[in-house]
Amino acid sequence: MKNLTLVDEIGIQRDNIMQLLGSEKPQKSIPLKLFLALCLNLLIAPTVYAASSGSVSRTSSYAIGLLLIVTVALAIYLLVAMLQPQRF
Amino acid sequence: MTSFESSPSLTPPTRGPRSSRKHTAKVDTTGLYTRAIRESFIKLDPRVMVRNPVMFVVWVGTIITFITILSPNLFGSVPGQNQQVYNFLITLILFFTVLFANFAEAVAEGRGKAQADALRATRSDTKARRLSPKGVVEEVNSTNLRKGDLVKVIAGDIIPADGEVLNGIASVDESAITGESAPVLKEPGSDIASSVTGGTRILSDELTIRVTADPGQGFIDRMIALVEGAERTKTPNEIALTVLLAGLTLIFLVVIAVLPLIANYRGSPVSIATLISLLVALIPTTIGGLLSAIGIAGMDRVAQFNVIATSGRAVEACGDVNTLILDKTGTITLGNRLAEEFITVNGHTQQAMAKVALAASIFDQTPEGKSIVSLANRLGAKIDFDESKSEGVEFTAKTRMSGTNLPDGIHVRKGAVDAIKGFVRSRGGNLTPELDAAYEKVSRLGGTPLAVCQENEIYGIIYLKDIVKPGIRERFEQMRRMGIRTIMLTGDNRITASVIAAEAGVDDFIAEATPEDKMRVIQAEQAENKIVAMTGDGTNDAPALAQANVGVAMNSGTQAAKEAANMVDLDSDPTKLIDIVTIGKQLLITRGALTTFSIANDISKYFAIIPAIFSAAGLQSLNIMGLASSQSAVLSALIFNALIIPALIPLALRGVKFKPLTADQLLQNNVYIYGLGGIIAPFFGIKIIDIIISSVGLK
Repeated sequence: MKNLTLVDEIGIQRDNIMQLLGSEKPQKSIPLKLFLALCLNLLIAPTVYAASSGSVSRTSSYAIGLLLIVTVALAIYLLVAMLQPQRF
Repeated sequence: MTSFESSPSLTPPTRGPRSSRKHTAKVDTTGLYTRAIRESFIKLDPRVMVRNPVMFVVWVGTIITFITILSPNLFGSVPGQNQQVYNFLITLILFFTVLFANFAEAVAEGRGKAQADALRATRSDTKARRLSPKGVVEEVNSTNLRKGDLVKVIAGDIIPADGEVLNGIASVDESAITGESAPVLKEPGSDIASSVTGGTRILSDELTIRVTADPGQGFIDRMIALVEGAERTKTPNEIALTVLLAGLTLIFLVVIAVLPLIANYRGSPVSIATLISLLVALIPTTIGGLLSAIGIAGMDRVAQFNVIATSGRAVEACGDVNTLILDKTGTITLGNRLAEEFITVNGHTQQAMAKVALAASIFDQTPEGKSIVSLANRLGAKIDFDESKSEGVEFTAKTRMSGTNLPDGIHVRKGAVDAIKGFVRSRGGNLTPELDAAYEKVSRLGGTPLAVCQENEIYGIIYLKDIVKPGIRERFEQMRRMGIRTIMLTGDNRITASVIAAEAGVDDFIAEATPEDKMRVIQAEQAENKIVAMTGDGTNDAPALAQANVGVAMNSGTQAAKEAANMVDLDSDPTKLIDIVTIGKQLLITRGALTTFSIANDISKYFAIIPAIFSAAGLQSLNIMGLASSQSAVLSALIFNALIIPALIPLALRGVKFKPLTADQLLQNNVYIYGLGGIIAPFFGIKIIDIIISSVGLK
């Protein structure tokens, strides 16, 4: 039997983890997606606030952050509509 | 079906000329618009909206602008007064844009649902008089009937199940299914006239019927399933257009998303509501909102012709048809071929010929057979043998003849001249040139010659007269202009076929064709990348119907044919194939025209909004429409954008007026009318709305 190198072992472990994640991937519900979007906004909003140099309020930066997420989500959705049009 | 020419099954029912008949089934469309309004609200469900990418983007935009009504400065402070009112108006217009698109789809769907409801209403349970094997009548519920049961129906009864008439002659009202108010005569022994449909009403006399379908498997049940169609799948053209529309929307989304950066840099910040308005005005909302309605309306137009399409794909394929394969009898000619004359040969008298023709046709229940009996009777021929001790020989595509085996062992036959020649030769008979002369004479008249013989002696030729349908030549001429090739298939000989083909103006013909020839012709045409349409009704047509890109089965046909085809003609009229192709072409032209119009509109809207929004950035000189203010420009463009959808609903549902032109001419017309028109119309529309807005003080 061939001896496995570290690189091979990492590859096998990666495949196993992906398989495990794939098999136990929960059916993502809309509330969960919204929660993840809000969590992501926790990263985006401070960036927007910092970039605006104080010209927008903290609340506005969170709103703009969410708007950015919605825009990106719409772009992904339209891309999927182009690549898999029969689903729509 | 036995053969293309000898079967009466492709012959349309005798209901008068088609042009004088209505093609709309009894569909209750009252309350259609009320239901459509309700449906358009129900369709606001995001799970439904997400199926239409363009309108979903508008829907998301509506929600965002709604939020800005509550808090105008949520996304940062924006200059200008009355932002809440402005945002409210934008939200309202966007909401109506979505609603109008939903309404267009709901109206188109409404008719299909109404048709399903009309069919469902005829499916109600009825009482049936079942005949037991001993002949005793027992009253049972129609749901308890099973295939093979015998039932008796009398005048006034609803026929309880699909079946075949075994006994009796009666008139039946089939309007519940076909929409045709004239009653249809039902009698045993004929393909069309002997089949009855559950849910139709017997108007006179009585019939004994053998049930041919179990409960839930009947014709109406199948039709309801077809009309409702569960989930409508997108056609290839719709898929291609969805890709284009989603692509355009994505491009404009990216453009609008980066605009605030440029606007802020130029010191001319733009509100989120205005940006969303700009996005909605630029994306192709008109075609996005009407796309599914156009497809559904195309299917509905086919349904109004009493044709049930199993999918939108089939209707659309009709528009791409390059080759039409048509049977001669019933499609190109009137189909009710009747015996016109007996032409005797070999020195036989008319009376002798009539006697043999009568004997050969006594068991023939086809209209042709009955007309031969009738002509023979008129010439004084009588039956001088015991019918009950005789044996009828049915026509087959292989033998191409029918006849009777008489009690004294004598065989009388009638059929295709070649087949009868072979029969006579096999019995040691002689063939004379006189027969060929008579055969050629009938063929040159465009008639069908049938030879008659008794054992090894040929008595003569029966002249079956058929007439080319009036106006069919013009229809084929139209088809030719559209680039469609027509091929006539006939069981007749070459001379007859060429005479009829020349008279009707078909491009090509195949004489002495067998059902298998249909398959061969279809495959040959498809090998050249052509889209082929054909009609059929027999079990042996089923493979060809499945092979053809558009297969139209006759309602009077066999179950196998109906299942193989992608359309079923309730009137069993093969000529309708030509109408269906026209509807398919109209569907594609309508979709193309509205797409051109929608995209051309964007150019004008661009000129309306961009200069007004970026007037501070020096783009005011581009405001060629002279719109009052940036706010009125945005509102005017949005209102025009919203109103154009309901304005085009009638066109989307009715279809663009169809003219039989070549593809190049159609494209040219489309570009001029809907391309240029699509650019010019918004200039006027937006300017008028802007004047109204300014005059009411909304600027």
